[in-house]
Amino acid sequence: MDLTGRFTREDAIRWAPLMVLIALVILFTAINPQFLSLRNFARITVAAAPALMVAVGVTFIILMGSIDLSMEGVLSFTAVLFCYAFVKFGGTLAAGGWIALPLILLVGAVVGMINGLIHVKLRIPSFMASLAMGFVATGATVLLTGGGIVKIDDDVFRGLLTYRLLGFPLMVYVAGIFVLIAWFIQTRTTLGRNFYAVGGGEELAHASGLNVKRVRVAGFTLAGVFYAVAAILQVAKLGQAESVTGANFMFISITSVVVGGVALWGGVGGVWNALVGVLIVNVINNGMVVIGLPDYVQDGMLGLLVIIAVVLSTDRRAVTVVK
Amino acid sequence: MSTFIKDFIEQETVSRRNFLLASAAGVGSMALPMAFGQGAAFAAENPALAWSYRDRASAYWNAVVSGGENFVESLGKTKDDMTSLINEGSSEKSLADIKAFLAKNSGNCAIACDANDSPNARPVVEAVKAAGGYISTIWNKTDDLHPWDIGDNYVSHMTWSDEKPAEDTARILFAAMGNKGGVVHLGGIPANNPAVERLNGLKNALKDFPDIELLDAQPADWDTTKAAELMASFITRYGDKITGVHCANDNIAYGVLEALKAEGIEGMPIVAYDGNPEAVQMVMDGKLLCTVFTNPYWGGGVSLALAYHAAIGTFKPSEEPNEHREFYGPTVLVTKDDAAAFKAKYMDAIPTYDWSDFWGPSNGGIVYK
Repeated sequence: MDLTGRFTREDAIRWAPLMVLIALVILFTAINPQFLSLRNFARITVAAAPALMVAVGVTFIILMGSIDLSMEGVLSFTAVLFCYAFVKFGGTLAAGGWIALPLILLVGAVVGMINGLIHVKLRIPSFMASLAMGFVATGATVLLTGGGIVKIDDDVFRGLLTYRLLGFPLMVYVAGIFVLIAWFIQTRTTLGRNFYAVGGGEELAHASGLNVKRVRVAGFTLAGVFYAVAAILQVAKLGQAESVTGANFMFISITSVVVGGVALWGGVGGVWNALVGVLIVNVINNGMVVIGLPDYVQDGMLGLLVIIAVVLSTDRRAVTVVK
Repeated sequence: MSTFIKDFIEQETVSRRNFLLASAAGVGSMALPMAFGQGAAFAAENPALAWSYRDRASAYWNAVVSGGENFVESLGKTKDDMTSLINEGSSEKSLADIKAFLAKNSGNCAIACDANDSPNARPVVEAVKAAGGYISTIWNKTDDLHPWDIGDNYVSHMTWSDEKPAEDTARILFAAMGNKGGVVHLGGIPANNPAVERLNGLKNALKDFPDIELLDAQPADWDTTKAAELMASFITRYGDKITGVHCANDNIAYGVLEALKAEGIEGMPIVAYDGNPEAVQMVMDGKLLCTVFTNPYWGGGVSLALAYHAAIGTFKPSEEPNEHREFYGPTVLVTKDDAAAFKAKYMDAIPTYDWSDFWGPSNGGIVYK
């Protein structure tokens, strides 16, 4: 709102993604009232939790005006490594499997850091560097698994999916906590503000004495950690990992981030936009089945709704060139 | 394209080429290239071996290629004597790699191949024929392409018919549901032939069970994650009406089981397909009612064996009946009763196959609709 308390155009754009989300919920509920139930929202959030972690991770990168396309490979790689480590350290959380948790976050950080270093030190565009890194990670995963599946059979760990608090499985709360951590990094740390500085105007940030390269590497490292969290939640959800565990996450996460109102040219948006975006995409996916939309219409409808959501939620007037 | 138009174009192209040749070198020389084309099919010594396929990331293709390697080792060679031509899902790469392999070995090749998509099979086998190599294909080819039309160089084609086995799994599912209730089907990628056949199998079985309703059938793209999310949405839409789940493959069944686990639902009758080791274990544990094993290991081995033995002249493909040139691969239904025996026979130790028994485990000649 402006000084006089009126609802301005900027306000409308800021709140547009949330409005789209609410409108979708109302639409689906009107067609099939079963959509609006605690159980169904729990199902939607379970489906959304791993994608949300990937989306939050890539949000930091997109805020800087870069892009990270390594998520599918990194997710598969960390998920498979997590399963192997979990089994190796005892096969249950209590027996020592918990060691796999911090270990895999560390692996995620290292992979992300390599990603960032390749991008910055070798001066390869982030698009290409991260895509290549993703392929390397996928290749390593195939090498590890030989095309097979690694399973985790521990009821305590799977409690992330099966144990419910107020109707929602534990993994939803874990995802929520990591969103809060991401929000804290974004708003309360120098690093978070530096992401905006780089995304808003890299030359200016550099001229002001900011070590842009270090910020970029830190951003990719942070994203790697969030991909590892996504991998852990994905394993909690499915009880297994294989070389295709990360499939489709690139499309879902980047679509979500953009639909949520994070601008691909950097500097605009944040963690909450990613959250709303992931919920929009997952509500659409769930809702289309719940209202009984024929499957051959669903992909087209998803694409259409994504375009509408982006049109409503980004301030395209501020952009002179679209590429 | 109809055969009429294709034949017409071929005739036109050939006659124009012939005309140019004739005017350049005289009618007499026309016989020469023809003779070369036909004469290329001679028995070869020690042909170079290759398997052309998508990639090794899935358990399925890993088994196919392992079978190929086992055949090569049975010849007293090493695994490395079989070249992997990985097409990464690209038909262009598939064809280019095969042409390069033929050129490198002067056509003295025995190749097994999945051409990636149906239209690509024709240029692939024609390239092999032109170079004088030998090829066996699996899965992808158009209905109008037949080994006996191409000649000895196109040794054989094997595919799997999934309709009947999928119907069998549906009948087992319906019996477990007490012959009544509601069933949902989670399918493969919509345009994939196996996805179509497996849904058709379910529909065929439904005709005999009037008290069973097909509530919904939607694609889960062979994918565990997508299956879990689709099943969750089905539960919202149909709730308790779902009393049985028909899955197009094992990976989908894993996702369905996890979606049900999240809801605390146990003992839902579920059937799967593909006979992966994890699924067989789940059948033994009673989590799945059944799955279907298609023996990709044998398929991978025997396809290369056929191309190899045709190349060295062990048998002459054109002297074999059509059902030895185009045939269905094996399908084995795995239920709780026989899962343990099945696991012991096929999973715990890989069976030793007689790679010169080309057609023993196969399932008869291909029938076109």
